[in-house]
Amino acid sequence: MEPIGYGSELDGVFAALADPTRRAILARLAEGSATVGELAEPFAMSQPAVSKHLKVLEKAGLIDRETKAQTRPARLNAERMQAAVTWLETFRDHWTGRLDRLDRLLNDLKREDR
Amino acid sequence: MTAPTFTMTRHFDAPPELVWRCWTEPELVGRWYGPGMETEVHAFDPVPVGLWLHEMKMGEQSMYQRIEFVEVDAPSKLVMLMSNADADWKIIPSPMMANWPTTLLTEVTFDPDAGGTLLTLKWTPFEASDAEHEAFAAAMENLGQGWGKGMDVIANIVAELAA
Repeated sequence: MEPIGYGSELDGVFAALADPTRRAILARLAEGSATVGELAEPFAMSQPAVSKHLKVLEKAGLIDRETKAQTRPARLNAERMQAAVTWLETFRDHWTGRLDRLDRLLNDLKREDR
Repeated sequence: MTAPTFTMTRHFDAPPELVWRCWTEPELVGRWYGPGMETEVHAFDPVPVGLWLHEMKMGEQSMYQRIEFVEVDAPSKLVMLMSNADADWKIIPSPMMANWPTTLLTEVTFDPDAGGTLLTLKWTPFEASDAEHEAFAAAMENLGQGWGKGMDVIANIVAELAA
């Protein structure tokens, strides 16, 4: 079978997601696209600061920027987001999920022994 | 750069001998190592420098793990080198993330603990570059501290999008 995941480099995505402000921006964009001005408002942040965060998110492929409209609204790139989430969950659950199953197996084995 | 280490401990309500068997008998390993998907154990030889070749199937794609046993000290200590592999079991860099360590040294100890077993698992990049060490350390930090909530936020976003 085909080995999984070649070509999907997630390091930039990972770094982009590690910042709480950027996660909040993504949560806002999940509701629909927004301009820099609209994004700056709830975060009590200057527009240049928001622009900086958007650049990081765009470089990671997590958002796209509209090129035609002058305000260049940002929108979420759901596919990229899903790939990152899958990877992170795999990592987080790597051992905890396994050890949960090992715990259940041990209980089964003890019952079989009785 | 000192190698960052990921450590986790877990108490099991079973004696070390039984927990040890679950790590060293292929039929038992197949019942928990998973991870929750179709898997095939192509080889399993728990002696020093023996190999454990593990295939995880995800639909049309597979992830391959090549594990080499380094130290096998029943029923208290197991040391393994865990690497990503291609379909020919050749060690390759992580297909999922750039700079993820190619090989992780995994040390598992089984200590008697209040009638059960305290399992301690340590994960350290093996013969890794500085970039690999950094990627691993960053992942440890992000996931270990404050990532719980962040992950929930992201998981909610994805659930909303999927709805």
